[in-house]
Amino acid sequence: MKTFSYFPGCSLEKMATSYHQSSVQTTKALDIDLQELEDWNCCGATTYFHVDELLAYTLVGRNLAMAEKAGHDLVAPCSACFKNAYFANSYLKEDEDLANHINYALAQDNLQFSGTIQVKHLMEVFVDDVGYDTLQERVTHPLKDLRVAPYYGCQIVRPRKDHEDVENPRFFEELITAIGADPVDFANRLRCCGGSLLITSRPAAFQLIYELLLNAQHSQADVIATACPLCQTNLECYQMQINQEFGTDFKIPVLYFTQLIGLALGLPPKKLGIGTEFVSADHILTFAKEPA
Amino acid sequence: MVKKPTFSEEVANLLHASHGEPLKTCIQCGTCSGTCPVAEFMDYTPRRLIAMINANLKEEVLESNTYWYCASCFQCTVRCPSEIDIAGLMYALKRYSIWKHLYDEDAVGPVFSETFVKSILRSGRSYEPVLAPTYIFSYGVREFLNEAHTATTLMLKGRLPILPPRIKRLDNFKKMANRIIPMGEA
Amino acid sequence: MSEKVGVYVCHCGTNIAGTVDVEEVSKWAGEQPNVVCSRDYKFMCSSLGQELIEEDIKEQGLTRIVVAACSPHMHEKTFRGATERGGLNPYLFEMANIREHNSWATNDKEAATQKAKALIDAAVERVIHHQPLEPIPVEINPTTLIVGGGIAGITAALELANAGNHVVMVEREPSIGGHMAQLDKTFPTLDCSACILTPKMVDVGQHPNITLYTWSEVEDISGYIGNFKATVRKKARYVIEELCTGCGICEEKCPRKVVDEVFEAGLAQRKAIYRPFPQAVPKYPVLDPPNCTYFERGKCKACQILCPTGAIDFEQQDELIEIPVGNVILATGYDLFDSKRIPQYGYGRLANVFTSLEFERMVNASGPTGGSIVLRDGETVPKSVAIIHCVGSRDNNYHEYCSKVCCMYSLKFAHLVHERVPDAEVYNFYLDIRTPGKGYEEFYNRLLEEGTHFIRGRAADITDAARLPGEEGKLIVQAEDTLIGKQRRVPVDMVILSAGMEARHDSVDVSLMFGMGCDFNGFFTERHPKLDPIATMTEGVFIAGACQGPKDIPDSVAQGAAAAARVGGLISQGTVMMEPVRASINKEACSGCRICNDLCPYNAIIFHEDQKVSEVITALCQGCGTCVAACPSSAITGAHFTNDQVLSEIEGLLWDVRERQAVPA
Repeated sequence: MKTFSYFPGCSLEKMATSYHQSSVQTTKALDIDLQELEDWNCCGATTYFHVDELLAYTLVGRNLAMAEKAGHDLVAPCSACFKNAYFANSYLKEDEDLANHINYALAQDNLQFSGTIQVKHLMEVFVDDVGYDTLQERVTHPLKDLRVAPYYGCQIVRPRKDHEDVENPRFFEELITAIGADPVDFANRLRCCGGSLLITSRPAAFQLIYELLLNAQHSQADVIATACPLCQTNLECYQMQINQEFGTDFKIPVLYFTQLIGLALGLPPKKLGIGTEFVSADHILTFAKEPA
Repeated sequence: MVKKPTFSEEVANLLHASHGEPLKTCIQCGTCSGTCPVAEFMDYTPRRLIAMINANLKEEVLESNTYWYCASCFQCTVRCPSEIDIAGLMYALKRYSIWKHLYDEDAVGPVFSETFVKSILRSGRSYEPVLAPTYIFSYGVREFLNEAHTATTLMLKGRLPILPPRIKRLDNFKKMANRIIPMGEA
Repeated sequence: MSEKVGVYVCHCGTNIAGTVDVEEVSKWAGEQPNVVCSRDYKFMCSSLGQELIEEDIKEQGLTRIVVAACSPHMHEKTFRGATERGGLNPYLFEMANIREHNSWATNDKEAATQKAKALIDAAVERVIHHQPLEPIPVEINPTTLIVGGGIAGITAALELANAGNHVVMVEREPSIGGHMAQLDKTFPTLDCSACILTPKMVDVGQHPNITLYTWSEVEDISGYIGNFKATVRKKARYVIEELCTGCGICEEKCPRKVVDEVFEAGLAQRKAIYRPFPQAVPKYPVLDPPNCTYFERGKCKACQILCPTGAIDFEQQDELIEIPVGNVILATGYDLFDSKRIPQYGYGRLANVFTSLEFERMVNASGPTGGSIVLRDGETVPKSVAIIHCVGSRDNNYHEYCSKVCCMYSLKFAHLVHERVPDAEVYNFYLDIRTPGKGYEEFYNRLLEEGTHFIRGRAADITDAARLPGEEGKLIVQAEDTLIGKQRRVPVDMVILSAGMEARHDSVDVSLMFGMGCDFNGFFTERHPKLDPIATMTEGVFIAGACQGPKDIPDSVAQGAAAAARVGGLISQGTVMMEPVRASINKEACSGCRICNDLCPYNAIIFHEDQKVSEVITALCQGCGTCVAACPSSAITGAHFTNDQVLSEIEGLLWDVRERQAVPA
């Protein structure tokens, strides 16, 4: 039984509640204990860094310090939260002056950063701590013949250059294979969805989303799997607008990878938050079958 | 006598603590611009912007829309042969623009960012509804109606927060923030 | 009787004097015990400076000399010469390095001046204990070992052999020729590579002074300049060379085909018994057991059955041959950068992305497509070709250096496409066009006139994911056209990656075996980057060609010839004088414990069973000092590094903190 401090992030509270539900359910089923960080604050997303870097690191520092207090490594399901936590952790460990400055502020909440924990993206927990073999063994309803487009997005791999081949990661495809589904050759799997450009520069974001959906359609994907609430929202909630704007007819469901894992583990769809999508994923459920 | 820093020196100072190489090591290869998924929307490509910074074209750089279009996907940073953190540069320019309040009042990016930051300092968490007014009117009538429709659908599916969340130790949180930047009442 | 030491403090222009207060130091030195003469001078290495030493020895009867200047690597020899001309044994001289170790390491004048005093005092204290020594003559074996049969190695071999010296060439592949044999046309003259190379290859193969071992590797080497012993593993060819006529029937009839990853760069197949190319030297084929039906299952034997002279021998074993040589020239060449390391360029995933070596084989008249430029399917002629410069080069993420030849060969490729597919559109995606050689810039102009599209921008992505009209079914190169400042997507049929040269994958192991070094990129380290690019820090081992750094054919030939000239000079001298810095064992004190025997890295210590004492073979000893330190009976002395000398040096360094005591001479 492995325990992690769980940092859901603001999006998972409401916007991406299905990610939260499916994360908790699937990890529990695989003997991973996610203990939600008590009184966590917003990580600042990308936006806080537009305004003040030091305060942005402080926000993240508070969460890291609380995770250290709890004594477990920190796991974040949202790629942006993960990226902020991972890099704040590594910069604070390297840079004593920065750490001192942040600790000066953290002292007001009786916290201190000491650099004793690691930070992981939720997908890494499945890949490293559970492992493909174990996952495959536990799968009761392999998603046979389900064509899944593995959409990594940006911040789960970048800018960590030391990460296993940042230009050609395969771990998402292997995860999909482990649950019995078929990962499709999705050329734009590492290309940005636009992120917060949806708010600040909508036409640009729409262009990116359109290109991603087009590529997924070309690859004949049944579903796009994501690992970030912003990616999921962008790709899913705006398909109607994209169709309007570009004259297309996209109707591709976008699910979180944890939801797919949950289906493969035989967990009830409702518990995985399936049913709150804009583009219905009901037909995906039929792929989760016990092998004959 | 203390010399006023040039614009390229100002930017170099801003990037001093970053984890990339200095801008002056740019060989102008264009990999960043070739990779950037939104380069076509920028009035100057990232590479060109770096050349302009190195040439001290302060006004043109700050007035450009380039850095507000950056989605911080980091593809440029990862590929740069001189190991410059270009996405980090875009963040730095955003911060510069906001600190010096050099932006247009109806520019969505800076206004959204400031509102977001204020909302976090107020409650420790982000709250989407308070951010809506920063952008919802900026894309035309059709988009406004679409967005309203999307928001309603989200709400009906239980995906939009009604009440703003707050962290418990909010007072400590605010005091903590004050030790970095004295902000008074957020 | 105390010694009379002369101290000379060099200014070296401002190199030393700019940081060290040389006048003060010189004056201070003159006040130290045993120093009878102390001077400072602008340039000690000049003839005037040296004459100061010579005159002072004669006029003042000096018995020891100390020069405080640059590194001994630079001028120890110079000043030893001056000392000798003055009438003293040259080893009664010591150099204090107050430049590289002092004035060049700091801007702090006070600290530098203090340190200079310490270094000089150390040298003075030490030199008092020096003994006269005589250099040791070593005979040079006139045979030279050349490792690598590419153009650099071939040039060196022919230069030495034609001068009447015996050469042993060891080549790892079945034939000599190296990468140059794979090329079609060479820039900028566009002459046919095989046409200019094969006559030289034949010369090497037939030369009475050259012993050629191909399909062989140097397994071990021991010894020192003039007296190396190389152990060469001649791998089994399974062909009896004395009987083989080179008729080629075995290759023709062999039923097993295998992808030729080496010579054909994976573009074509060869047989299990094969010659890499028709003009191979030597003409003997090689059998590849992992892919041979006989070795796998005991069946077939077609080659043996059909061979008219019975030259196939499946029982043949590797041979280990010991070859005594006097000098070694390493000319091991380069490997091509592996383009799979850049996934965004699609090599290995997208069929019609080719590396430069693959394209070289394609355009080669005796290559897999007979010289036709076609796509992977072997038939379709591309109507548009993109050539990507700087693949794996000028990039901190792969190789920081510029690979020197790629711009020129990229232009060459562009030209070949224009020539063979006249209507094709050719796009060169470049960062800079580097054309520094003779006729190179003119070649670039020619390409401009031929209508090549030059897009200045490093390719960011090569993809088959179409997004815009006209991209379906094509390879799209996405880059910023930096000269117009816009991102462009250029759809083409074929992409060629101009990958850089990198060091051979095993260059570090090779350098360790030969006792020299590599730089951080794996290229062999030269003795001096400007003044001695073909020598190494190890006496008797030389380097030539791409193994020293990326370079084109003219430069490889020049280096091969230079290395040959250096070796030729050593051979004609016949004897080389070696430093007398050697260990010697005092028989009376030796207890016969033999601890030193196994510690010697040069196997230079023998044990006399009858007398039960060890002895150092002076000629093999390199003066490393390991045995001196290890001997529990302190029976071993290191000449020029005796305990007295070293301890006095330490005392000198600590001049300002120790009790002043004159150390007895």
